[in-house]
Amino acid sequence: MNSIVIIFLIFLAGAVLTYIGQRLSNILGSSLFLLTIFAATAQFYLRVNTGDIFSFSLNGLEMEWGITPISWLFSLIVLGLGSMAAVYSISAMKAKERLGYFYFNFIMGIFSMMGILLSRDLVSFFIFWEIMTWSSYMIVIYEGRSVQKVGIKYFLFSAIGAYAMLMAIVIIYSQVHSVLIEDLVYSFSSFTLAYKIWLPILLLTGFGVKAGMMPLHVWAPGAYSHSPMAYSSLFSGALSKMGVYGMVLVFSMLITQIPEHLLIREVIAWLGALTAAIGTLWAIAQDDAKKLLAYSSVAQLGYIITGVAVGTELAMLAAIFLAVLHALFKGTLFMVVGAIEKQTGTTNLTEVTGLIRKMPWTFIAALMSIIALAGIPPLGGFVGKWMLYEALIASDHYILVVLIFFASTAGFLYCYKFLFGFFLGQEEKEWAHVKEAPATMVVPMLIFSVLLFVLGTFPGLLLKPIDIGMQELGYAASEGHYWTMSVLFNEYGNAIMLQPILYAIIAIFLFFLVFLTAKAFKGTRYVSTKDISSSGEVPGEFENLSFKENFFQPFLRAVEPVMKRQIDWYYTLVGNGMEALFNFVRRVYTGNGQTYAIYAIVFLVILLLLKSNLFG
Amino acid sequence: MDQVKFDISLIEYGFFISAILVIMIGLYGAMVKKSLIKIVIGLSILESGVNLLLITIAYVQGGTAPIFSPGLLKDMPLTVENIKALGAGMVDPVPQALVLTAIVIGFGVTAVALALVIRLYRHHHTLVIDEIKNLKW
Amino acid sequence: MVGSPVLFVAIPLLTAFLIPLFAYIWKELVRIIPGIVILYLLVLSVSLYGQVLREGTIVEQIAGWAPPWGINLVFSPFTGLLSTLMLFMAFIIWMYSYRFKNIDFEPSKKYFILLLMLVTGSIGIVLTGDIFNQFVFIEIMSISGYGLTAFYVGRDSAEASFKYLIMGSISSMFLLLAIILIYSQLGTLNMADIASKAHLMKPEFKILALIFFILGLGIEAEIFPLNGWAPDVYSQAPGPIGAAFSGIVVKAGIYALIRVIYTLFDVEGSLQFLVIIGMITLIIAEMAAIRQDKIKRMLAYSSIGQMGLVLVAFGIGTHEGVFAALFLMVSHALIKPLLFLSGSYLVFNSTEKSIKELNGLGKFMPLTSFLFALGAIAIVGLPPLSGFWAKWSVLTAAANSGMLLVIGLVLAISIVEIVYYFRVVNRIYFFKKEESVVPKIPTINAKFAMVILAVIIVAIGFYPDLITSYLHEASETLLDKGNYIQNILSVAQQVTQ
Repeated sequence: MNSIVIIFLIFLAGAVLTYIGQRLSNILGSSLFLLTIFAATAQFYLRVNTGDIFSFSLNGLEMEWGITPISWLFSLIVLGLGSMAAVYSISAMKAKERLGYFYFNFIMGIFSMMGILLSRDLVSFFIFWEIMTWSSYMIVIYEGRSVQKVGIKYFLFSAIGAYAMLMAIVIIYSQVHSVLIEDLVYSFSSFTLAYKIWLPILLLTGFGVKAGMMPLHVWAPGAYSHSPMAYSSLFSGALSKMGVYGMVLVFSMLITQIPEHLLIREVIAWLGALTAAIGTLWAIAQDDAKKLLAYSSVAQLGYIITGVAVGTELAMLAAIFLAVLHALFKGTLFMVVGAIEKQTGTTNLTEVTGLIRKMPWTFIAALMSIIALAGIPPLGGFVGKWMLYEALIASDHYILVVLIFFASTAGFLYCYKFLFGFFLGQEEKEWAHVKEAPATMVVPMLIFSVLLFVLGTFPGLLLKPIDIGMQELGYAASEGHYWTMSVLFNEYGNAIMLQPILYAIIAIFLFFLVFLTAKAFKGTRYVSTKDISSSGEVPGEFENLSFKENFFQPFLRAVEPVMKRQIDWYYTLVGNGMEALFNFVRRVYTGNGQTYAIYAIVFLVILLLLKSNLFG
Repeated sequence: MDQVKFDISLIEYGFFISAILVIMIGLYGAMVKKSLIKIVIGLSILESGVNLLLITIAYVQGGTAPIFSPGLLKDMPLTVENIKALGAGMVDPVPQALVLTAIVIGFGVTAVALALVIRLYRHHHTLVIDEIKNLKW
Repeated sequence: MVGSPVLFVAIPLLTAFLIPLFAYIWKELVRIIPGIVILYLLVLSVSLYGQVLREGTIVEQIAGWAPPWGINLVFSPFTGLLSTLMLFMAFIIWMYSYRFKNIDFEPSKKYFILLLMLVTGSIGIVLTGDIFNQFVFIEIMSISGYGLTAFYVGRDSAEASFKYLIMGSISSMFLLLAIILIYSQLGTLNMADIASKAHLMKPEFKILALIFFILGLGIEAEIFPLNGWAPDVYSQAPGPIGAAFSGIVVKAGIYALIRVIYTLFDVEGSLQFLVIIGMITLIIAEMAAIRQDKIKRMLAYSSIGQMGLVLVAFGIGTHEGVFAALFLMVSHALIKPLLFLSGSYLVFNSTEKSIKELNGLGKFMPLTSFLFALGAIAIVGLPPLSGFWAKWSVLTAAANSGMLLVIGLVLAISIVEIVYYFRVVNRIYFFKKEESVVPKIPTINAKFAMVILAVIIVAIGFYPDLITSYLHEASETLLDKGNYIQNILSVAQQVTQ
């Protein structure tokens, strides 16, 4: 049997067995859960090679599953993050209800993502896409009634995206008479111009929803922050990357074939940058860590979308690199929040404080990810962001650079808020009982932190596979390795390492560490905790004045016009308008039998009047 | 046999028009009257109108009942031609068969309708159709 | 030959009237006999269907009168598919109704008599090759439909039934008018004969007859604006009868309409008309569905909408279009009854039957809730369930005929569908149960009936090729009008020779 089929079977059987096992006993369920994911991961990495293909025919459609370098790359995200999140969720979800349900949908989520990556045809792509949607939807609504609105919103937007995609797929099928992606790419140039423009737009709408692109992102903050954190890390880290994966395919395979491709590229790049900027602003305004991270995810995906849309070699390289890194650091951060939520019971940044001594390992993981997220050397985020800026400048997108740079800088604010809010500051009696999270939760976070460090130091490890993947996507291989185009690698290091810069940074870092430690040794001076900052504002009488409370008030006031209204508001307006319209329409069914009889006669009269128009 | 034709004569027009008028009256009753009983009566009239129309198209002017009796064939040999010639002087039997069926069906529908009216009256204590609108939208 | 198509009409009709006699022997027979009869007919239908696929259409003449004079029954790959589907649904519904609501002896007698007549009527509509005979079957179906709708005393069921009756009478008036028109023009009632002579008809009479047919059959096929009765009937009839309406009766109505448009006349523009009216039906019904607060009424509107989509697919007119329409009919005939059957157990003990009362039943009725959720997921067309493939076929057929607007509208409407179905599913699983609601665990046979449906839905979803070849065969048969005429009229030649 084909190794790809075996993977799918492992997932499917595993999902069902886990569900049943969980009903029997907790331990059985959890171990089956882990076993499934690790068995599939092992099977994938040991037995499946790029180029394996499994073709079959269903409902008269030729379909194909196979693996390409680019999907192999994304499968790193899915399986890597998936298996770590699985380990994490064992302890994180302990003592929660309906674990079988959670595990089942978790496995189905990973299964469907792998399916998306392994699909070489549009129909199985779409089927897996939908499985991904509903399995993640089931987890979003895991918490119950309180999140039902969030869940419906998520599913609604996903459905809009999916149906846009489905429309594109059926049109493609009617044009090409095949659903294989390679046939589409091959014959795309012969499409009429209208199709050439509309098909990518429809597809990008579909992918844009999952990637949380403006203005389709409104589901994301709610969905990310309301799922259990063990899943949110996968959700924001891997699931949203499927949108990115689709966008990569569309931009590199289809849009390059349109002569007028620039406009679409510009529009999407702008949307990406706006997503980044506005997402960041909203993230700053949040007091809840989950919400903060959710908005931050939206913002980070904005960078990635911009990179993919600009689509020069370097931009694409940067985008995919950032996509992998985002999976690592955002995955870790959601895990951190999950750990803190589990230990303290809340994720409110203004309440929790001073956990650094209580949860040191969690702190280290959080610190590393925050550094990577903010794009500070020597961690990987820096490399990715640098390459993105460079690519944007090299392709003359100066305003975009400004926008992205603004987003990135403003991003420091929420990074700081997150780190300070949870870990630094005064220790309060309230949190004196807090202990470090269990090892199974801490270890995945630490593994990711180490990976972040490694990738920041040796970005070549990741850049090489991306390079191979991009050549598969049709980027000319003439230049050798793309990353040599970056100033970063040309002038400050050899092709793989960033040694001088790295050492300089590490030295500074160590110096600060020593300095801070020394300072800490002097002993702490205690002040009353809640009167530290008023940010230049005149404080009211009974206000919480700790750093975290309204700390960014002046800044937020400055950007207030931009943030006046969430896009949600407009969607709600449209939605309510539609419902009112529908409510009006259904009144044609008056409930009176005679009215219905009159309708029949009126219908007869209309048909008789129009008969020459209707029937030739 | 030449005078027997399917031409529509004035009398047949009269039949048609009166049948259609009956249908119209039935429709009027079913659609405008507010009492359930009157609606049922309207539907009944509607049925009759349609049945009349059906009979009308079968009518052959001066035709006889569509029965082959031995007397009709007296001296003629039993050939296809002769039978056809005889048949042309008869009223078309098919619509009559149809009408019989339709009448039976109409009877059944009316019976069900009246039974429903009784049920409705017991439930709503009224026969005005405008007041029986619990199910709507 | 295993048996003749005439048995499909004769046996259930006979049994229906014998049931009161059986009751004298043993009261339980009233419930058992219909099941045995339906099962026998199902087996017969399946074996005949196999034979038809191998050897070609069976034309059965009743009482030895050859077409076009006598009445004939046509068991072709197309009608055979529908009759098999209907009998299967009838069997499921029988299995479900067995001891449903602990019906007392007396109503159960009436119930099963009427159910058998409903099935007879529907299958007769599909099999007959004579328009007047079809009219008679439509009346049999409608009258038993009136009776079944008004089955429960104490609900507003009589009101629904009365509305259905008014519309049914108007429908029969239009049907008779159409038949009169055709007979006065062509002097025949046989469908094949009419089809072969249709060109002799004066065009204006032809169009007038078509319009009368559209009105008469449109009422049974629930097209807008003739479907006002449908939501009332679906919501007031007993649960299994709602399932029978959506799985059997409507399908017969659609069949009759399609037969008229495809075989009887080929009036230019009638296919476009199907697309337009189907689209309007779909849009209005789904709009009305979203704000319903009664569960069955919501399902009814959804069913009407799906039938609109079936008409749209038939209106595309290509082989793919017909295939898609049949796929949708089969898939809908499986899913909507599942929703009705599980839904009516979810609101079993309530008088209001409102959606609110479904809150939190997921914990108390796990299997029923799960099946309802599965049906909801399937009907909105999420893969990997059968609804997806049906929707996919419709969309590809539309795309291949260049109907992009249709694709866009259908997908937009599907989003509305998702909203209202998911609201209900969310209520079932994630809301808190209302104190007053008393959950009712389904009887074992009802569970079994629902699980069978669910299994088939999942199986088709994973492997649509299970049924596609039959559907292709059936759509081939429907489109090949010349063959239909020849099949039937050649029987006549054989007889005269």
